Amino acid sequence: MSLTPFLGKVLMVDLVKGLSVTFHNQSEKERITEQYPLERPVVFARYRGQPRLNVNPETGESLCIVCNLCALACPEQLIVVKGERNPATKRKEVVSWTYDLSRCMFCGLCAEACSTDALELTQDYEMALYSREGMVLDQAALERGPEPVRYAK
Amino acid sequence: MLESVLNYLKSGVTPGEAGSQLWATIYIVVIVLGVSIAVIAMNWLERKILAHMQIRLGPMRVGPHGLLQPFADALKLLIKEDIIPANADKLVFWSAPVVVTMTAFTTFLVVPFGRTHAVTDMNIGVLFMLGISSLGVLGIIMAGWSSNSNYPLMGSLRSSAQMVSYEVAMGLAIVCAVLMTSLQTGTGTLSMIGIVEAQNAQGTWFIFKFFPLGFLAFVVFAIAMVAETNRAPFDLPEAESELVAGFHTEYSGFRWSLFFLAEYSAMLAVSSIAVTLWLGGWLRPFANTLSGPAWDLAFSLIPGLSFLVMAAGCFLGTIRMPKIVQMRAQVIGLGVFGALLGFVGLVLLLPGVRERVQDIFWFVAKVACFMYLYIWYRGTFPRYRFDQLMKVGWKVLLPIGLGVLILTALVGMRQELHDMLAAVVGGTR
Repeated sequence: MSLTPFLGKVLMVDLVKGLSVTFHNQSEKERITEQYPLERPVVFARYRGQPRLNVNPETGESLCIVCNLCALACPEQLIVVKGERNPATKRKEVVSWTYDLSRCMFCGLCAEACSTDALELTQDYEMALYSREGMVLDQAALERGPEPVRYAK
Repeated sequence: MLESVLNYLKSGVTPGEAGSQLWATIYIVVIVLGVSIAVIAMNWLERKILAHMQIRLGPMRVGPHGLLQPFADALKLLIKEDIIPANADKLVFWSAPVVVTMTAFTTFLVVPFGRTHAVTDMNIGVLFMLGISSLGVLGIIMAGWSSNSNYPLMGSLRSSAQMVSYEVAMGLAIVCAVLMTSLQTGTGTLSMIGIVEAQNAQGTWFIFKFFPLGFLAFVVFAIAMVAETNRAPFDLPEAESELVAGFHTEYSGFRWSLFFLAEYSAMLAVSSIAVTLWLGGWLRPFANTLSGPAWDLAFSLIPGLSFLVMAAGCFLGTIRMPKIVQMRAQVIGLGVFGALLGFVGLVLLLPGVRERVQDIFWFVAKVACFMYLYIWYRGTFPRYRFDQLMKVGWKVLLPIGLGVLILTALVGMRQELHDMLAAVVGGTR
């Protein structure tokens, strides 16, 4: 056995190294546990969560033009959009809009297909429900968007 | 009544020396309470510190920063169903935790928390402590045997093998320290108080005596004592991955908590042996370099000030707590705890109190360092394999212990050896 490893063994260098690692882990900066309801995790910018149907912030009108592209893009075919032409404005308007969240895999293809940026997958992740009933979102729920419970820190 | 109390407090002797059964009883009650509180504190600290070492938070919900978690756990254990396995040897099963706990607590009879703060000054104190703490193995073997189950039996056999092998190295290290006590007076002592007074008289803690020698003996002891108390990295008797929980697999509820209590008080006991033998027991640090009445005063203020610092930490915690309704009770709780600590700190600053309490403080502070080391080891080192454990005990620690013992004896006797050699050389001339 050559001298350096022998000395390292006698002086327990490896053990001391390990001890220093665990000692430095104690600092508050290293902590990664989050106190979930009090501290909310910061999700990635491109995280895809609960869908939202955007409205024009000035007029409050839906941005959706009932082009049906999202329903066509959806691999699960969980989006059903029905609209009819308004003779006054000569524009198609939404009659019913449903989004079945229970079948959604958050691929984001619908939001990508949307030509007016009306449909968007937000960064909200709190979508758990007690029953399947609330899983099918209608236009009102989609326009309200996610309403996470905020615990002030 | 009050006069007799004051007279005793002024006499400066242990209850054993004073022959006072009343005071001995009071001391024993205080020590049992103190050790129990220390175990509760240790439970919380271990979970917190271990969690922080693993980049976790640890208990946070029961009380501020989980301060009430040990009490919640104790309550849970107390109201748990008490199960005795059908084929267990009931009497032995019942008495094993009692034996373990009794031995763990009995060792504290001779622990000197200060010159006057020991139940008694036994002239074979170290021997008594070693003997009684070795009896703890008996309880562990009883637990393993009476459970009538494979894992507990394996665990207890491992435990006995481990304790027997490490006791040898431990004994050799202790003999080194006992040898050092005889250096100035010519007669060594096994009394715990005598050993600390020898360190005081020689003006050095034994860890620094004959520099590498005292330190090496201390290291041997420090490793052996971790193995002796079945703690990580030597926790083979309760290796979760192999033996479920080792010797206390079949135990539940209050009986299990007795094993827990015994394990932690045994840790406290061996740490206090180490502190007494090598770290100067109740003596304050830097007694030589920073001497004089001014420094004495400064050091006697440290106990109270350290409590005040802890109180300040608590108050800082109350400020940093989340400001929401759900956490209000916790914030108030932490504030009250801080106020309590601050009050204790202020009491400790009173002149009469601080003189009497500072030696207890230094002793406890040194023991606390060892407790931190225990947790630190547990958070860092993986468990040894059984053959590695035996190798460390018999092939490393034992030879080092023997070598240090012989060298200590030679260095201690160097004047006499020199004289003898001179006489022999002179005689032949």
